[in-house]
Amino acid sequence: MFFKVSVIFYLISAIIYVAFLLRSKGTTCVSGFCVVVAGFITHTTSILHQFWIQGFFPMATPFDAMSLFAWGVMAIFLALQFWDRNPVLGAMAAPIAAVLMLIASTFSYQISQPIIPVLRSWWLPIHVSFAIAGNSVFTVMAMSGAMYILQERLIKRKQIGRFHKILPSLQTLDTFNRRALPIGFFFLTLGIISGALWASSAWGSYWTWDPKETWSLITWFAYAGMVHQRFAFGWRGKKAALLAIAGFFLVMFTFVGVSLFLGGHHSFVDLCRETVPA
Amino acid sequence: MTRTKLDFIVLGVNHTTAPVLVRERITFPGNQEGAVSRLVAQTKGVEECVILSTCNRAEVIAAVDDCEDVSERLVQLVAQIHGLGANSLMPHLYVKMKSEAIRHVFRVTSSLDSMVLGEPQIVGQVKAAFKRDAAANTTGPLINRLMHRAFFTAKRVRTETGVALAAVSIAYVAVELAKKILGELEQCQALLIGAGEMAELTARHLAGNVRKPIRIINRTIENACVLANEFEGTAEPMDRLFDALASADVVISSTGSCDPIIMFSDMKAVMKRRRFKPIFMIDIAIPRDIEPRVNDLDGVYLYNIDDLQAVVDENIGERLVEAEKAGDIVDEEVRKFMNWNRSLEWAPTIVALKNKFEEIRIGEIARLNGRLAPLSDTERETIDILTKSIINKIAHGPIAFMKQSLKTSRHNQHIDFVQRVFDLNTFVSGSESAEAQIADHETDHRN
Repeated sequence: MFFKVSVIFYLISAIIYVAFLLRSKGTTCVSGFCVVVAGFITHTTSILHQFWIQGFFPMATPFDAMSLFAWGVMAIFLALQFWDRNPVLGAMAAPIAAVLMLIASTFSYQISQPIIPVLRSWWLPIHVSFAIAGNSVFTVMAMSGAMYILQERLIKRKQIGRFHKILPSLQTLDTFNRRALPIGFFFLTLGIISGALWASSAWGSYWTWDPKETWSLITWFAYAGMVHQRFAFGWRGKKAALLAIAGFFLVMFTFVGVSLFLGGHHSFVDLCRETVPA
Repeated sequence: MTRTKLDFIVLGVNHTTAPVLVRERITFPGNQEGAVSRLVAQTKGVEECVILSTCNRAEVIAAVDDCEDVSERLVQLVAQIHGLGANSLMPHLYVKMKSEAIRHVFRVTSSLDSMVLGEPQIVGQVKAAFKRDAAANTTGPLINRLMHRAFFTAKRVRTETGVALAAVSIAYVAVELAKKILGELEQCQALLIGAGEMAELTARHLAGNVRKPIRIINRTIENACVLANEFEGTAEPMDRLFDALASADVVISSTGSCDPIIMFSDMKAVMKRRRFKPIFMIDIAIPRDIEPRVNDLDGVYLYNIDDLQAVVDENIGERLVEAEKAGDIVDEEVRKFMNWNRSLEWAPTIVALKNKFEEIRIGEIARLNGRLAPLSDTERETIDILTKSIINKIAHGPIAFMKQSLKTSRHNQHIDFVQRVFDLNTFVSGSESAEAQIADHETDHRN
């Protein structure tokens, strides 16, 4: 219920933001922002509601994980609003949140089977929080990267119009990348370590080269490479922005694609399969 | 019906009606203390006036009793003040009356009539002129009101439209672009190559934004030193060019060299030394100082004078679009002001009406004085309040009727009608007292 309302709010705000960019001449989209806040509040309520229903951290099912992911992205977006009320970021964050929520809603939130005991562990909130935090940071970083690429092109091609004016400066966007990269990387690392520790306590082995494990390691190496290039070789600006965007797709594949297409013991999709009523 | 209303008139020259040669002669000399304004205010038929004189315009704004009549006298006077013949002045002069005059004053103050549309200085200039003439006692309730509404309109235009937003000079555009590339410029290093006039102008504007001393490189070090003195920067010889480029964030180049002095390969090496830190290069020189291909390098943003001019042109276009919106705001404010101005027409009738009722009331109380004698003071007071309340209630009807009729084109007939129904003799009253009466009525009604 709350979840559906928040999806609608996110969709509406996405439409408002995009329409604002295309039509309006202003620099801050107040209506879009208000709807996003409304969506965020109902979304938070929906997560708390799930907590209450399940009696444990609502993080175990793909539905909950996607919802939490969208929540993380919106939380970072809203935090950034205090710093810069840029409508372009809203025009990316709101649709992405809406899409994540829609993906989540393809999974049913009526849990078909009792949650397996493995997931009833205190490792759950620790591991999932780190992983989601890392993913959210990388997602917003990719959005800022896209804004960088756009602004850079406009300046290079000397198209000094409305978009140029409402986009933040290259310096601002690059600074965001520089600050977000180590933070996201830190969370990703903790996510993988906590996952390994949990695996050891639950399945008896730290690392089994399960598809999820393999792909998160690939993601980790990709971001480790980015951190290294950025801080040791001074890769910045356009290159850093492009890498941030590429990294996002890798993150999305590891997070969603692996569970759906590659399976493995980290895939908990079954939890959400709707049981046909007898 | 007696005429009680004053009209506004504006006459003057500006950058569109008069060439510089004429404009520079019409400056109302000796008006620092408002002496000329006083002279104008003493002209027959002129009640109040303000004189505005800037480098692009010279105007007399006045409240007069008869526009047609006074305009001729004013033209003569302005010609006389400047030792010109009225005939040589006439072709350059514009005369605006009534609502057109009000609109003109609002447009001028809102910078919609400026040579550079939306330039911010004009409000200050109008304010200064008004302050000076108010001190010289040549303004009154009408001009005061007109000026305050003009400043209010200017404020609305500034906050509700983008007429003053987009940068419309090369120097401003360059600095705005630099901010979009480099963020806040305070910690940036600016480098000036060569010493052309345009480069100097841009550098001067840039210097207001950066805190580090500007580096200046020139073929002749002496000239660089002169500029360095002026900008409190540092002067360096030409052979330090690439070192300077490696540490600069904004570069303005305008040497007189026939061949480019910064080639693609040079810049490629420089970018490596900079670890690809972005650099904003402005090439103002003709022929070019920087090979255009340099713009293809990652992190180099090269703009030449034509690129900057194109942005300026686009921004001017944007201001024009915004100016249309501003025109609507001006229209709205002119309408509001005209309504107020018209209200002065019926104010004397209201005064007469109220006076008449009050006369009747006092007369009747006086007539019954004998019978009222035994009453106590409080009882007499009650009768006073009661009778006052009755006449206010009766007066409210016709007053509301006249106010309502302001919105129609037949308000003059309606006022006349009220006068005849109540057999009023309106008298000429100062507009200030009329205004006070209107305010009175409004507070009365609220009570």
